Amino acid sequence: MWLPVAGLPPRLTLTAFTGAGRSCILGSGAARRKDVLARNRRGLSDFHPQLLPNLGFGDSPSWVSKCRLEPRRYITSPRLAETLVRVLRENREKTCQLFLECNPGPGILTQALLETGARVIALESDRTFIPHLESLGKNLNGKLEVVHCDFFKLDPTDYGTVKPPIMISKMLFQNLGIQALPWSKGIPLKVMGIFPIKNERRTLWKLLHDLYSCTSIYRYGRIELNMFISEKQYQKLMANPKNPNLYQALSVLWQVACEIKLLHMEPWSSFDIYTQNGQLEKPKSRESLEEIQQNLCLVQLTPRRNLFTDNLTPVNYDVFFHMLKQCFMKRNAKLIDHLHSLSPVDAMDILKKTKKKEKMKITNLYPRDFKQLFETIECSKDYTCKWLYDDFMDDRIV
Amino acid sequence: MSALRWGRGAAGLGRALWPAGHPGLLAEEGALGGVWGRRRSSSASPCEQDRGKDWGHAELLEVLEARVRQLQADCVSEVTVKRVDVARLPEAGGFQLPRKAQPGAEGAAPGLSGRWAEKLDKEKWTMQKRRQRLEVKLQERAQKLARKQQLRVEPRLLNGQLAACLQRWEQGSPCNPWEEQLAWLLQEAPQRLSGEAQQAPADSGARAQLESQQQRLLAFFECCLLTGHLPLAHHVLVIQHSKSRPPRLLTLAMYNTVMLGWARKGSFRELVYVLFMVKDAGLAPDLLSYAAALQCLGRLDRDASTIQRCLQQMAQDGLPLHGLFSGLPLCEEDQAVLLRAVCKAQPGFRPPPQPRPPPQVSSSPLLRDIYEKDLPVSYPRLHLPQKELERLFQEQLRVEMATTVTVESVEKAPRLTPEVLRARKTLKGLRARWEAALCRALQESKASEAQAAREGRPTLLPYLCLLGERECAQLLLQTLQALPPQGESLLSLAQQLGLRAFNRHVVQRKLLSNQVRDLEKRYSQYLHLLASDGQVAEPCLPRQHWEALGAPEAPHEQPWPLPVLVQLGKQLAELLVRAVHMPSSLAAPQGPPKLIPVLYHVYSFRSFRQIGILKPHPAFTQLLAAAAERTLTFEAAEVPMLCPPLPWTSPHSGAFLLSPTKLMRSVEGTTQHQRLLERCPPAELHGALDALTQLGNCAWRVNGRVLDLVLELFTAKGCPRLGVPAPLSEAPRAPEGRLPRDAPPARKAELRRELARCLKAAREMHSLRADALYRLSLAQHLRRRVFWLPHNMDFRGRAYPCPPHFNHLGSDLARALLEFAQGRPLGPHGLDWLKIHLVNLTGLKKRESLRARLAFADEVLEHVLDSADRPMTGRKWWMEADEPWQALACCMEIAQAVRAPDPAAHISHFPVHQDGSCNGLQHYAALGRDSVGAASVNLMPSDLPQDVYSGVAAQVEVFRQQDAEQGVRVAQVLEGFIGRKVVKQTVMTVVYGVTRYGGRLQIEKRLRELSDFPQEFVWEASHYLVRQVFHSLQEMFSGTRAIQRWLTESARLIAHTGSAVEWVTPLGIPIIQPYHHESKILINGGIQSLTFSSSGDTSQHRVPRPQEAQHAEAEERLPAQLHPLAGLLAHDAHGPALLQEGPDFRVRARLLLDTRGRRRRHEPGVPRAVRPPAQPAHPARPLQVPGEAVLLRPQVPEAVQERVGLQAAGHAAVGAQDRGFQPGAGEGLHLLLQLTSGVPAAPCATV
Repeated sequence: MWLPVAGLPPRLTLTAFTGAGRSCILGSGAARRKDVLARNRRGLSDFHPQLLPNLGFGDSPSWVSKCRLEPRRYITSPRLAETLVRVLRENREKTCQLFLECNPGPGILTQALLETGARVIALESDRTFIPHLESLGKNLNGKLEVVHCDFFKLDPTDYGTVKPPIMISKMLFQNLGIQALPWSKGIPLKVMGIFPIKNERRTLWKLLHDLYSCTSIYRYGRIELNMFISEKQYQKLMANPKNPNLYQALSVLWQVACEIKLLHMEPWSSFDIYTQNGQLEKPKSRESLEEIQQNLCLVQLTPRRNLFTDNLTPVNYDVFFHMLKQCFMKRNAKLIDHLHSLSPVDAMDILKKTKKKEKMKITNLYPRDFKQLFETIECSKDYTCKWLYDDFMDDRIV
Repeated sequence: MSALRWGRGAAGLGRALWPAGHPGLLAEEGALGGVWGRRRSSSASPCEQDRGKDWGHAELLEVLEARVRQLQADCVSEVTVKRVDVARLPEAGGFQLPRKAQPGAEGAAPGLSGRWAEKLDKEKWTMQKRRQRLEVKLQERAQKLARKQQLRVEPRLLNGQLAACLQRWEQGSPCNPWEEQLAWLLQEAPQRLSGEAQQAPADSGARAQLESQQQRLLAFFECCLLTGHLPLAHHVLVIQHSKSRPPRLLTLAMYNTVMLGWARKGSFRELVYVLFMVKDAGLAPDLLSYAAALQCLGRLDRDASTIQRCLQQMAQDGLPLHGLFSGLPLCEEDQAVLLRAVCKAQPGFRPPPQPRPPPQVSSSPLLRDIYEKDLPVSYPRLHLPQKELERLFQEQLRVEMATTVTVESVEKAPRLTPEVLRARKTLKGLRARWEAALCRALQESKASEAQAAREGRPTLLPYLCLLGERECAQLLLQTLQALPPQGESLLSLAQQLGLRAFNRHVVQRKLLSNQVRDLEKRYSQYLHLLASDGQVAEPCLPRQHWEALGAPEAPHEQPWPLPVLVQLGKQLAELLVRAVHMPSSLAAPQGPPKLIPVLYHVYSFRSFRQIGILKPHPAFTQLLAAAAERTLTFEAAEVPMLCPPLPWTSPHSGAFLLSPTKLMRSVEGTTQHQRLLERCPPAELHGALDALTQLGNCAWRVNGRVLDLVLELFTAKGCPRLGVPAPLSEAPRAPEGRLPRDAPPARKAELRRELARCLKAAREMHSLRADALYRLSLAQHLRRRVFWLPHNMDFRGRAYPCPPHFNHLGSDLARALLEFAQGRPLGPHGLDWLKIHLVNLTGLKKRESLRARLAFADEVLEHVLDSADRPMTGRKWWMEADEPWQALACCMEIAQAVRAPDPAAHISHFPVHQDGSCNGLQHYAALGRDSVGAASVNLMPSDLPQDVYSGVAAQVEVFRQQDAEQGVRVAQVLEGFIGRKVVKQTVMTVVYGVTRYGGRLQIEKRLRELSDFPQEFVWEASHYLVRQVFHSLQEMFSGTRAIQRWLTESARLIAHTGSAVEWVTPLGIPIIQPYHHESKILINGGIQSLTFSSSGDTSQHRVPRPQEAQHAEAEERLPAQLHPLAGLLAHDAHGPALLQEGPDFRVRARLLLDTRGRRRRHEPGVPRAVRPPAQPAHPARPLQVPGEAVLLRPQVPEAVQERVGLQAAGHAAVGAQDRGFQPGAGEGLHLLLQLTSGVPAAPCATV
């Protein structure tokens, strides 16, 4: 029964990194890190049952290495930055000139963007880059704002450990003076960034939850994401019944929610990695060659204006989520079998209404079919109870 | 079947084709095969015998006769074909190939001549051809079918030599082949398998899997024996045996089990077959194998020589003869037969007398005085006479035989409107239909399982056959009834169902055997010790008395392995899903009703897991609600007992009369605790057994007045403030109506949050309400009765009452509902102590001396009396107390006592609950000799009770001031916010291994509750505070810290060597930390695959909080393993009493630290044997806690004496159970109670 779920609900995993330990490493420098390591060595190799003198109550045991820094990619090549600026500003039909750049690092792209006259907000989670970034914004009349903030950790679910770089979007946007635009209106701002290497899936799920529930950044309207994502993940994102092996709940949800456009592809090797000893360097050989040869895809995710209809709303989106997760868990089963355990509404009726055949398999349904299916059930008459699911996402609420 | 092969001699084809035996009697056939075979061969084709009489004369007649025979034969073969087609088959094991079948008519007319004869010959020849063709075809088909359908009897041996030997025996020797063979077989040295075959798989996962498969197989064989599926078991054994060799699944125990089965039936041939397989597998027969063989010989009444040889061989193998009669799990009848057999060979043999276990004494120094032989002990008697107790026993016996108890609900009765009546009628009709449907489904399922078993797999068939179909259906319907509307996870449901099936089976077994009559007799004698008018020759403890009354009980039923349990439960749950339907619309009966399932299998996604859930259809939930039925059904073991529980005599026997109860409760599927207990010398457990027995022997009754008041509130609107949950109608309602279509999404998101909040609140209310409903309904059910709460303990030796819903642990309300059934006069100071107790319950004078408390009680006496007289209408003084319901009960007691003509003579039933002040720290402080710390937890003389929490808070405040002066911002912000409440939880839990991380979360929570604290500083402030709290504790409890470190370090090293941490408590209870090498078990198929770990956390509900889940995992996992060691000090004992009683309280921490020994075991070349994880493979070395803290000789400070005085007086006043003992023994036992009854969160329930 405890199977790994295909799509991780992002809530728990996200909060896992919001605790105290992680963020302080960079700030307090290398000395401490060495200290930890030294202790580690002693604890592990020798058999010393004597007491460790300088530890008090509840100090975490010495042998537990507290944190591991995940490597982070940065854009360092001016040429790449130029290309990006060109791509990003290609469709400048609308007036949106506000960019939110996540983890700009050395600020190569930031500078390029600024040069085109755009307004840029740089959310940098790594404090070491901040002074440099701030220096970029001098003499620019406030066109650049730098905030110590981790975009991917905005709005932790328990509101408990809010401390820079972890922030609440409401406060951040308030400080930045960004106004919410209604859903039906245009795009309030564009986000530009690179998904964290290890947590792409989690981040994607978190964003999905935010998007469908109109919370966090999506409270401010249809925010457009321009993100670098690994090629594999991109393929999954765009999968449909034509490539059923990659097709999954995540694909359906993103395709239902957003228009997805591939803007640019760039090999991994063009990015620099910021490693543990505080150096920027080229990806090393420890990453396999295969990985290096992979590309990163710049995708544009623009929420659809007509995402929310009468039947799919931020009120019941979790039912939709649940429906998809359940369907894709037994992806080769027939639709009708799933319908039986999703809803007490007569399954044949639904099939008739959605004009689907009885033998239809899950992987044969297109994203829009799922949405249609959901809406059909949601608006079926004569049933007081339309869904068997009623887990009201209790852990998402404070 | 076997008849064919056993009829050595002419095996006529016609006979071969003729179906032999009756299909339904497989079991008997196995036994009788040989006999039948012989009979048949002798009676074969009678017409052939007087053939040649006068053949010359009647040619035509001869020809005609031959023709007739041909036609007959033809006919026979046709008929046979048909029979084969309808799956009816000759039972021949392998359908050994046609031994040159002679056609029936051959040689019938050797000298026949002439045209007729020619024609006849020709015809005969063609016929023969046809027949041969047919035969071949038939045999092919038959073989094919036979392989599928038929139960194998003959083993297929892998060892060539043995196989040849078997063949020879089968065909060969004329007389008594099997006896010969037995002797020969036993002599034969076991065929050693090649080295690599013997080796267990090195990978621990694979090993665990193999082990669990073996468990499953063994359980299957055992269960087959119980349900009379012995031929099936044999069949599976043969098939498994013939499968590929390494890794071998079969163990000697399995062979022995099947052998024993055959022995009981007296089927010698099959037994020898099994023995062949044992040899073939390279195993050496053990005592049990010999016992089976001898038993079989005994049953068949064979001559002495075979038995003699058997015994000789046994002696040669170094197995002692008297071993057969002691220490083998054989029932009495088996033993009698065995004895008969042995006596035949050795007429003078007498079985050794049942070795009375020598009166061993627990080696625990703590208990030395209690079990001192020369101390006369008299046990306190109950207030009830023998006759009454016997009547109560009968009542309890009836309850347990019924296995369920139906209790009337205390929920307000609905008005019997037509709707209600209709709903009830519908429900009744549906249930009848469901029962029939379930029975049908069960039958089908049995059939399919039987089919699967024929393919050689251990299936659930015998388990399904253990309980009657109707009983099973009832069990399932009962489960359906109790399913919560939001559903229940399939895994826990399956576990629950499997467990219930097992319990019912055990009860049934006890009923079938004579155990109930024996129990009745013994119990009645046992009551002589307890009854008010009973007489016993020699005063002793209940357990000793019980043991003296007869032999130890029959071996207990081994619990089924967890995979079996879950598999069975899952099968049952699936039946329920499949079979139970209801009409889609109950209201409109016109037209053929469309059926919809009542249960749905849905998934829920939580964190990383997906959880399969069985959820009732909303319409069914509605129907249940509409019918508003007023009965609740409980398992018999969930209800308090109506007579004194059986005394604990071993880890498996005690408490309930029939329902199996474990001494040590553990997560289902963890066996290491049980194994540890079983290995423990019985005397070492006496302390724990007696303490638990003692706890269980206390008679209780319901406090009717309090119950009335609670019920009044409960049926009205409830009162959450007083702990009476409100009905669902009081739940917060979600805002009505849908939002307009064009409402902004953000608005909708808000609505959603609102909805979710309401739903969550409603859920919580529902579960609280259900909990209270169970408790109160049981209380109502037991009102005006005397009842008993049997106790057992958890895996760290903390005592708990077995009945889960209604007991004396738990909330204020739960405690207030109970009082002692046996009253005692208050005595001279009793009233004063009652008053002090009342003040304690109010929580008002926490830091005052006892004298001041007493004065305060006298001051408010008027309020007290008012509360007692008009609890709901008066000034309601009691409602303001910390523990309102207990305070109210106390008020009533005081009122009665005050108004009695002589308060000292007033008979009181009132229980007084006691608690120490921060027990864990008390122990640490005493061990570490921290004088400052000891003072703060009341271990040092002091006029006023100390409060460690305030102490720590004050210390933190000192640090804060220092920091504030130095300009630390947080310290300045925190000014005025540091109080007892902020630090309390952290201080309390620090001894249980809370980390800085957890502590910070606790403090953060408290800070958020402070409305005027600037919330933006919460993170920083909590971070700061937790540091200061730890710092302060370090100052106050420096020795404590050292000990904690040491324990932590030790446990870490133990964990590092790959062992589980284990130790022995001062009471002698062996404790083992749950082992962390868990193996995943997968149960495939059906509606959902279930995966769970075989040891440890199977509960799905315990989803860790997100923060802890990952971030803190690394931090907390090890300490979680470690702090039980602290628990050894903390949970196991209670402060004041300990200090009073335990002058040489010795901590014996058996820590497995010998890493060198460990390393040696891993040296290459030494095979790593499969071993139970808990087994100490090397000498355990007790370690000393640094600072010589092992030996405690603290002074007993006055404050402590004062508290202990309270305790003693409390006892004298309220009639607790420990009086009647001689001072030494009695108080020692009282200490036992305290030692075993510590519960960290809830204060102990010592009385």
